Amino acid sequence: MNGYTGKILRIDLTDRKISTIDTKDYEQWVGGHGMGSALFWDLVKDKTINGFDPRNVITIMTSPLSGTLVPGASARTEVQGIGIQSSPIEWFTRSNFGGRFAPMLKYAGWDGIVIEGKADKPVWIDIRNEEVKIKEARHLWGLDTWKTQEEIWREVSGRGYGDWVELDSERRTTQRPAVLTIGPAGENLGRVACLIHDAGNASGQGGFGGVWGSKKLKAISVVGTGSVQIADPNGLMEARLWAQKKYSTDLNNLDASWVARFGRRKPQNLYWDRQEQARLQACIGCHQGCKERSDTGYGNESTCVETTFYNYWDKSKHGGKQTSAVYIAADLVQKYGINAYEVSRGLGYIRALERMGLLGRGKKIECDLDFRTLGETEFADQFLKMIAYRKGIGDDFAEGFFRAAKRWGRLEEDLKTGILYYSYWGLPEHGYDPRAEVEWGYGSILGDRDINEHDFNFLFWWPSGAIWAGKTPQPPAEQAVKIIAEKLMPYENNPLMLDFSTDNIYSEHMAKLVGWHRHYTRFWKESVLYCDNRWPEFINSRVPGYRGITGEGEPKFLNAVTGKKFSFVDGMELGRKIWNLDNAIWVLQGRHRKMVHFSDYIYNVPYGGFGNYAMYYLPGREKGKWDYIRVNGRCLDKAKFEEFKTRFYNLEGWDTRSGWPKRGTLESLGLKYVADELEKNKKLGA
Amino acid sequence: MKIGKLRFPSDDLSKRVLTEVDFEDRLEGFRLRERSGPIPVTMYSFEEVASLLNDPHPRLDFIELETWIRKTMRDKELADQVADAVRMESSDQNRSLHIIELLEERLDQCKKSI
Repeated sequence: MNGYTGKILRIDLTDRKISTIDTKDYEQWVGGHGMGSALFWDLVKDKTINGFDPRNVITIMTSPLSGTLVPGASARTEVQGIGIQSSPIEWFTRSNFGGRFAPMLKYAGWDGIVIEGKADKPVWIDIRNEEVKIKEARHLWGLDTWKTQEEIWREVSGRGYGDWVELDSERRTTQRPAVLTIGPAGENLGRVACLIHDAGNASGQGGFGGVWGSKKLKAISVVGTGSVQIADPNGLMEARLWAQKKYSTDLNNLDASWVARFGRRKPQNLYWDRQEQARLQACIGCHQGCKERSDTGYGNESTCVETTFYNYWDKSKHGGKQTSAVYIAADLVQKYGINAYEVSRGLGYIRALERMGLLGRGKKIECDLDFRTLGETEFADQFLKMIAYRKGIGDDFAEGFFRAAKRWGRLEEDLKTGILYYSYWGLPEHGYDPRAEVEWGYGSILGDRDINEHDFNFLFWWPSGAIWAGKTPQPPAEQAVKIIAEKLMPYENNPLMLDFSTDNIYSEHMAKLVGWHRHYTRFWKESVLYCDNRWPEFINSRVPGYRGITGEGEPKFLNAVTGKKFSFVDGMELGRKIWNLDNAIWVLQGRHRKMVHFSDYIYNVPYGGFGNYAMYYLPGREKGKWDYIRVNGRCLDKAKFEEFKTRFYNLEGWDTRSGWPKRGTLESLGLKYVADELEKNKKLGA
Repeated sequence: MKIGKLRFPSDDLSKRVLTEVDFEDRLEGFRLRERSGPIPVTMYSFEEVASLLNDPHPRLDFIELETWIRKTMRDKELADQVADAVRMESSDQNRSLHIIELLEERLDQCKKSI
């Protein structure tokens, strides 16, 4: 099996039973999310259980590309199961992280891990190639995520890199094991707890840290000495060279469009100011290196949301100057094993309540935090510790700030004003607000979580940066949407799918864009596991005509590794199948179209205020002409959003009254057994 | 364009500038990033406004800012200079860069004064 090791590790914590599942049984789903959803469907008979139920199954999956040299696709791991973070229903959900775990799992001989049951006392799982042991974790329970990893590294491999780990008489390595672990937040069943691997890698959304805590599973460690069999090694190397020559950015010769787009400032994914002495760091097999390590030892490998959690507060406290507090706070979030999105939005929320005179010492909502020290390291530590150990009001915070607001009797009012910035399913708003970049919001409310797929965000970032800097965005809106529309197979050459003007955001064109994105990501991003930071690439400023690698690149690499003959559209169709399977699971969990709506502020409060300032631009048509148009200042229309849902359900072949899948749709996708199960539960669309 | 020097503030003004405002008097803005999108920022003090404008990609309604300085901070001189900067500069990026100079100058004066 090219690209596969051929077996999935199955661990029942209740009976401490270790077995294997033949990967071939699930190969039709290719890998990652598709396999995870199919395994979940088969192994969880009652889909209505909650996330803490021992019958909840967590899948941790790789893809055929994991551990290979495919650029930006070697290192992602897909985690699925019933989460504990969303509301009103704890949806079957997903999260995904990078680093070394997926490649190491493949090198150890496993395509994925299935976790079932619940241990009677804390355990960790030690995987050394084919040898798998469930071990007592009494000495690890209570440790933070970094100390846990260090302890396991010591136990498995001595001191770390450079020490030989003898796996048997013939196989040894100097690599440290890849460890995925929970911190105190997970042990204490926090709904905002996550899984941490190395530093800077987290499976954040969903609350899987709390789910592991409930299963008394502290960590999984894996070290392997094998490799991944490639169907066409020469073809894979040629594909890499082709991609490098045609599409990679020459940083020494940045072209005019780069400067026009970004003005004086270069883009970056770190929200804090970069440290002076630092070098880039990448996940295994990645050409990009979006992380950094610095000589200070603080904030190493952090990127994305954990770097924004404390950045603003630190600067505010210290006269606009950044201090070590921001890096230490990012480290603490990870050490305690807490979801950085929850604490970022949550801290803004409780700060508002404090300024309203509602929260604080002796106030209606009793809280020990001293906001005069907000911005200092001590405040961050106290805040996070309260959550991790459920101390005082931290017991409310650990439930997530949506549930905390409910406990305090503030939920309805604060969702009306938007002070509680949680747009969908009781989850923190990512930043691509449904009122502006509607496609992100629609995908989230029609799914299970904030989609966290940044595939169209450059359409906001390029013009919004350029116009703010007084430049003309390149390429022009009409050219940009034309190039992208060519690549939106099977809905290709319909630029109206990318028209974000208010007249078009409830249209069938927009429904097609949302559907395209759900299908693309379910397969190419979450099953084949192309990294969100690099794929897709619609537009490339280095290529004459700006056409990026997407459409051609995805199947080229997959086929070189697996020897299959997947076309891009084949992948889109399999993505549609996976999306339908996921929706069937949500329907069995209790989803109905009636509950598919945003928080009140999305319909009532104009996004970004009324001011005429350069904030949020997207392509759209005004009086028939394409331009980058300003979209801040608008709300969604509730009635029109209902019409949009009807269009979307129609397009997907789902019942427009309930949002439930129809038998014909499921059978056409080879999901007759799913239709049968829905019918048995009286939840099949008519 | 060169922004003019601000006169040294009174003790009353210095105290106002260095004091947090109530929830009703907050100012709202965003920090923009490619991956996370606009990150909302709610500001309860002059220093927090300066912190936002120190960000590489701040977004703030400058008319709201001018009004806030004029009415909440009651700093007419600074508000007038902010209005001048908004009018004379050609892009929001340049407006941000000039306004932050003004805000930092005022902040520095107030800290020295108290």
